[in-house]
Amino acid sequence: MVGLSLGEKHFIQGGIAQDIRSDGRKRLTYRPINVETGVIPQANGSARIRMGATDVISTVKAELGKPISLQPDKGKVSIYVDCSPTAAPMFEGRGGEELSTELSVALQRSLLGGKSGAGAGIDLSSLVVVEGKICWDLYIDCLVVCSDGNLLDALGAAIKAALSNTGIPRVQVAAGASGDEQPEVDISDEEFLQFDTSDIPVIVTLTKVGRHYIVDATTEEESQMSSAISISVNRKGHICGLTKRGGAGLDPSIVLDMISVAKHVSEQLINKLDSEIAAAEAGEDES
Amino acid sequence: MEFVSLEGFRLDGRRPMEMRQIRAEIGAVAKADGSAVFEMGNTKVIAAVYGPREVQNRTQQINDQALVRCEYSMANFSTGDRMRKPKGDRRSTEISLVIRQTMEACILTHLMPRSQIDIFVQVLQADGGTRSACINAATLALADAGIPMRDLVTSCSSGYLNSTPLLDLNYVEDSAGGPDVTVGFLPKLDKVTLLQMDSKLPIDIFENVMQLAIEGCKAIANYIREIMLENTKQLEYRRGI
Repeated sequence: MVGLSLGEKHFIQGGIAQDIRSDGRKRLTYRPINVETGVIPQANGSARIRMGATDVISTVKAELGKPISLQPDKGKVSIYVDCSPTAAPMFEGRGGEELSTELSVALQRSLLGGKSGAGAGIDLSSLVVVEGKICWDLYIDCLVVCSDGNLLDALGAAIKAALSNTGIPRVQVAAGASGDEQPEVDISDEEFLQFDTSDIPVIVTLTKVGRHYIVDATTEEESQMSSAISISVNRKGHICGLTKRGGAGLDPSIVLDMISVAKHVSEQLINKLDSEIAAAEAGEDES
Repeated sequence: MEFVSLEGFRLDGRRPMEMRQIRAEIGAVAKADGSAVFEMGNTKVIAAVYGPREVQNRTQQINDQALVRCEYSMANFSTGDRMRKPKGDRRSTEISLVIRQTMEACILTHLMPRSQIDIFVQVLQADGGTRSACINAATLALADAGIPMRDLVTSCSSGYLNSTPLLDLNYVEDSAGGPDVTVGFLPKLDKVTLLQMDSKLPIDIFENVMQLAIEGCKAIANYIREIMLENTKQLEYRRGI
């Protein structure tokens, strides 16, 4: 846990009230974002995102599977987060499980839409190879290497970057399979299909400290929060998911105000992230 | 299966006595007291050290020396096929124990009584030799944390396939079923602190194979020393000395 003295607490709260935080940022400024893609060669796609001291790795692995009978025209995507004990000693053993589950569920809610798959940032029907028989299962595994607050936003950004880095092999289906038989497939190891990642939302977490709210809170600032709202917004400015954390109640009008601020902040974040991802991809191609 | 070709090359193009490319970096985890990344070929691990600090669980406190703890974990994406293993399976518990014992042997624990040192190693990519890579990463991380040690313990594995001793086995060679000797070595004191072998081997050949692993450890120790010297120079430069 964060051990802060009374003076330090007042310093953080006072700084936020005066729009200058302990590290010199304004309330709605992000820390510098550093994106690296293709960090895990065994995966179909991977990315490492660093925001200040927060450091997360996200990977995408694709496996061929069978669509569930209720949705024969959709592939499956699942997100798992793992908090490594390297990030904080309290994640040792089963200590990180609670946080891991909370983050996994929040990410699924923000990025994958409802249970029916409607409203997902990824076009699930593009994952189908043969309707009702074969589809791609995407496993998105995230690892928190170092934690200094704002994990959800960093993980969301890492998943977006990893998906833009992902190449799914082209699959040739042997003709002639009929009825209930599983058709034979031939997985190409040369041709890869890229995803359309422009619709994947970014997550903006607004943390309320005192009467004001801030983006990209550090661990110290998070320890002073009364409540936080994570809002995922896509490029069109649509809200794709919302999670409220923290105990204190919020006035409904403040919630609406926070949503409009998040929408405004997300535009800058998406642009920043897209240019960083493009730069990382270009850097990777060169080397 | 042929692991050493007639021309004397291994599956990944190395000579029998050649190590994979190693790369190390100090300071990978900003919040930890000491941390390092260590790569041996495609094997990549991160180690983070927290401590020496107050003992978290009072019942474990030792009055005349420091408590050393270690946890080894593998990322879901670290292996070729995605795995979803619960934390704390038998293999990782055993490796945690091995790393803890090896590191405990070289830390001067009597200088820090009633305190605790946590070593966490996280495997990002596994391609054989994770045990050795973890020990090397832990050594660097402990040195980065400024924890007093007798010597820099390093580790390397070797094996014996197609009647040839091989240094630093990768995953394919490791799973071939031949003997796999993992050695932990204190280069300055010239002492072996860790020795593990599976499968069987005649004694006179074992001597050669172990010697090969020790040579590997010495090479790694030289490299680690270089990295630390480089890091210290950087620190010195930043402080403007």
